[in-house]
Amino acid sequence: MNTDLSPEATEFGREVLRALEAAGGDALVQQAEADPDRRQTVAAALADLGVWELDPRGDGDELEAAAAVARSCGSWAVPYPVAERLARPPDADGLVLVDEARPQAAVAGLGLRWAAVTLDGRRGPAVPREATAPPRTTAFVTGLDLGPLDDGGAGDRAGEVALALALPCWTLLGMLDRALALTREHVLRRTQFGRPLAALQGVQFQVADAEVERAGVEVLARYALWSIATGRPEAVADALALRSAAIDAADVVFRVAHQLHGASGFCDETQVSWLSRYSLPLRRLPFGPTATRERLTRALGRRGLPGPYGAAAALGGVR
Amino acid sequence: MASGLDFEMGPAATTLREELRALVAEEVPAGYLGAFTDDPADLAVAQRFCGVLAERGLLCLAWPAEYGGRDASVWEQAVVREEMWAAHEPRGAQYMGVNWVGPTIMRHGTPEQKAQHLPPIARGEVIWCQGFSEPEAGSDLASLRTAARPDGDTWRISGQKVWTSYATMAQWCFLLARTSREERRQQGLTVFLVPMTNPGIEVRPIRSMLGPHHLNEVFLDDVVVDAANVLGAVGDGWRVVQEVLAFERVGIARYARCERLLETAPALLGQAWEELAGELRGRWARILVQCRRARLLAYRVLALQSEGRVTPGDSAAYRIAVTRLDQDVAEVLTEIVAAAPLDGAEGEEFRAEVEDHWRYSQASTVSSGAIDVQRVLLARALLPAAS
Ligand SMILES: Cc1cc2nc3c(=O)[nH]c(=O)nc-3n(C[C@H](O)[C@H](O)[C@H](O)COP(=O)(O)OP(=O)(O)OC[C@H]3O[C@@H](n4cnc5c(N)ncnc54)[C@H](O)[C@@H]3O)c2cc1C
Repeated sequence: MNTDLSPEATEFGREVLRALEAAGGDALVQQAEADPDRRQTVAAALADLGVWELDPRGDGDELEAAAAVARSCGSWAVPYPVAERLARPPDADGLVLVDEARPQAAVAGLGLRWAAVTLDGRRGPAVPREATAPPRTTAFVTGLDLGPLDDGGAGDRAGEVALALALPCWTLLGMLDRALALTREHVLRRTQFGRPLAALQGVQFQVADAEVERAGVEVLARYALWSIATGRPEAVADALALRSAAIDAADVVFRVAHQLHGASGFCDETQVSWLSRYSLPLRRLPFGPTATRERLTRALGRRGLPGPYGAAAALGGVR
Repeated sequence: MASGLDFEMGPAATTLREELRALVAEEVPAGYLGAFTDDPADLAVAQRFCGVLAERGLLCLAWPAEYGGRDASVWEQAVVREEMWAAHEPRGAQYMGVNWVGPTIMRHGTPEQKAQHLPPIARGEVIWCQGFSEPEAGSDLASLRTAARPDGDTWRISGQKVWTSYATMAQWCFLLARTSREERRQQGLTVFLVPMTNPGIEVRPIRSMLGPHHLNEVFLDDVVVDAANVLGAVGDGWRVVQEVLAFERVGIARYARCERLLETAPALLGQAWEELAGELRGRWARILVQCRRARLLAYRVLALQSEGRVTPGDSAAYRIAVTRLDQDVAEVLTEIVAAAPLDGAEGEEFRAEVEDHWRYSQASTVSSGAIDVQRVLLARALLPAAS
């Protein structure tokens, strides 16, 4: 049992965090919103570190490194589809999981070759439409025109689908890390009634509950990654489980973050407002909480969530 | 690169899990809901099962070899906790002796105390109760008033304990009492190992929704206890009790029973499962994910603990998640049971299990320390400058 990423992956994640800070940190998303072409700065900074050479499909260690990168990018609300690019198949620059009925993703205007995959493992080319509204309201989400999808079959593509589900959850996890860290700093600094907000038990409880959610996503994200790396047959269910928990957790964490920041949390000067807005595509696409749960329920059938700890029902039902 | 994630528990743990499941299937009758009922047959099941485990060296496999244990890994210990709790704890109240009374005596006991107490605990022959809480001392345990005063080679103890589980069936009590008044309330406390047969002890059961034996009052009226029955140093009781609480840090593996009950429902229902409301099945799926979350948070605490890196915040986060889980699962299960056609003997047994789970889960956020105290601990870890 090892519940931590490899030290190398963790260190690589830290390097990415520092490099992105040097490239602008919190300002990256703000600048990109004003001038979408500035997003290339992010791609370039990550290229310098060799991020695009990672092969998360081929190697468990590189998969862990890719996850650590996605998480670091989430911390800075990086306005660039890093997880999606890291999930790319051989014949495209990036891969997004889509709802075939309404394909869309936060990939507007980057001039890259995209592939889309459905939950049942069919894949084909995807062309982002021209953005019709400013990123201020879309967070770079745009519709996709799908080319013909192959019939790759869920079996062969299970690992790929799980990857396309799980890596963006690592980005979201990075956002939760940061939103909570900012909230902790804020309630320690902000004084009301003659003492820091953090001294109030009502405030402490909100922070504690948000942390339980965040920590829960962290362990589920690690588990899903391991399930993918070891080729477990239920990897898609594990990734759906992660996604379902991650978007539920995001509701709690961002609500607490906004609440405890008070009015200041809505200001452009406050990073929480950027994290909050830019988390939304990750939380709603390709499926929001309800639709994700529906798909998870379908994937679980009557079996539940299998794992290496012995099927619980194998205890003999009620005995 | 160094190795990364690995969520396997290893072959020894897997073999052990299979062995325990086979023993449960063989030794524990269908419909068993734990030893704490009004039916003496249930207590007999636990006593017999402890004997079976002890014979195979499985009862105290977590103990060091020098005390008759197997030095089992933390993962094997986790397997025991999971399998036993999933099967309604067929070890009965004896699990407390094995889990924390024995190890605490190993740590602080005199050679005589070890010789006297460890063998019967290891054979599963003795039941201990935990005498900490008092009417005026719940979450604020250090405010306890039960007092012991020295009298020659003995101590005389008077006061009252409450909520003392299994006190009616226990032979011994692990009792915390005040032996002096000091500046800090945590000082001047001492642990006594008290035979429940000593004159002056009166146990009164408290009828409760949790079922019999879970809650009792214990009155102590000038109970004479040998000085040889002090555990650790006089006045050092708070430290000993903190260690006990640390043994209980990961506590019972509530997620394991939750998961088993949740997975049993569709297995029993078969086709009828799909006829349940989609939203209910959605809640079922969501709560299964929460089971996994609690399980993985437990594993994280164990991994950190074995590296000596665990913080009170890590274990508090787990405790918060797992105790709420117990109650959330109870709500989903009771809804399934109400909506589903669960007929026949198996269906009836499942209903009984769910009903039992619902009642007992109501206490999960209170027993072994209220969840809000865990939230305080977690907040303290997250907001150190404020506390
Ligand atoms: C099933 C069961 C078995 C038990 N078995 C034993 C046993 O064998 N031996 C034994 O000694 N004890 C036992 N207990 C007692 C248990 O340890 C106490 O119930 C627990 O510590 C809480 O104390 P209390 O019930 O007095 O609640 P109180 O301390 O009165 O607290 C009531 C509520 O107030 C809130 N609260 C308390 N403190 C704070 C705080 N600092 N901040 C915010 N909110 C707070 C919490 O919501 C708490 O639930 C058992 C309890 C149960 C339910």
